Amino acid sequence: MDQNKIHPDQKYIDGLAANDSVIIEMIYKKFAPKVVQFITNNSGDKDQAQDVVQEILILLFNQAKAGKLQLTCPFDAYFFLLCKRRWLNELKKSANKEVTIYENVVSINESAHELVAQAEEFDEKQKLFETMFQKLGEKCQEVLKLSFSLKSMEEVAEKLNVTYGYVRKKKSLCVGQLTQWIQEAKNFNSLKNN
Amino acid sequence: MNEERYILFDQYLQGELTVDEKHNLEKQLSEDTELASEFESFKEMHFQLENKFGQEQDREIFKENLTRISDKYFHKKQNKVVSLKPWYFAAAASVIIMFGLFFFDYKHYPNFEDYNHPESAYFTERGVSEAILKQAENNFNGRRYETAIPIFEMILKENNSEEIKYFYAVSLLQVGKYVKAENIFKELEAGNSVYKEKAKWNLALSKLKQGKYDDCKAILQTISQDYEDYDEVEQLLEELD
Repeated sequence: MDQNKIHPDQKYIDGLAANDSVIIEMIYKKFAPKVVQFITNNSGDKDQAQDVVQEILILLFNQAKAGKLQLTCPFDAYFFLLCKRRWLNELKKSANKEVTIYENVVSINESAHELVAQAEEFDEKQKLFETMFQKLGEKCQEVLKLSFSLKSMEEVAEKLNVTYGYVRKKKSLCVGQLTQWIQEAKNFNSLKNN
Repeated sequence: MNEERYILFDQYLQGELTVDEKHNLEKQLSEDTELASEFESFKEMHFQLENKFGQEQDREIFKENLTRISDKYFHKKQNKVVSLKPWYFAAAASVIIMFGLFFFDYKHYPNFEDYNHPESAYFTERGVSEAILKQAENNFNGRRYETAIPIFEMILKENNSEEIKYFYAVSLLQVGKYVKAENIFKELEAGNSVYKEKAKWNLALSKLKQGKYDDCKAILQTISQDYEDYDEVEQLLEELD
């Protein structure tokens, strides 16, 4: 990875990943006001602004924890753009009403757009995965949960009181089931887009 | 569902295939795009599962902390305050005023200690032994600055990060080593890290502690209104006037 291009604001991302209260408070103090202003100017209220900010920070936490977030633009631009797009989506979802956007914040960094696209893709993939996971049977969910939180498959077998061979096979097949559903969703999407 | 296929993928990812089996699968993957796409999805599912269950605890703790900070920021706590009748307000206010008049010492200048509340350190630097960082952190947070200072000096030889420099300088300020502390704050002020405005504030505190009120005021006036504790800046400026 190109270390040179990383923006000093990466500090905020690392702070989120480390659950550093000082940094999180700083993010609220410095960057939330602009989001609140934008949302309250565009058919939203303060509570909705609070939710959007919180959702986006959870998204950033997830992305940072997965080691998939290297900030190459100022945090300000990135964060605002994410919140703004999230809010516009909310509006579209609930809208029969005409949506007119009032904004006086321009100058959005070019690489911010790229990062935002990545974050949204990350978010979508995670949500799709979550939906598929909930579709799995109880046994599969349990085997997967243990397989990915315990240290070894031997431990998983012991915990479930079955053989090692059985859990290994079960795990493969459960991941396989998820894979199959994801493949189907991908094919469906490419049909839809064509 | 093609069971054999998924069992093979899993064995491949676990590194359990023989050299021949491995080459065989890799060859198939390079030739069969559908198989390759399925393998990518399989890996993606692995990644998602690791992310979901490997970080589950951290994620819960983070969400709790985030909610707390968010509610504090949006003043959600106000709902929980028992509302007082105006009458009580008036009574309480007059009592406070009387106390205030009684204890008001007509001292002219603000006091360093009133504004001195260093934040806690949580270090996550790379390239330095964790044990040493923990020592520095504990001593700093425990206000044992004399002990923390030599540890910071040791860390700075390895890792000259802005964060460590900042907390080192705060420690120096606490024990009254003004020249050294101020030099580092000036350096941070010139930089572009998140410590830029904090450095100015500490520089002002250093002047305050030394009784250089005019210098203190001049520095306070350069602090950006975006600084997270700007209310304190305003309060100190008012007191200085």
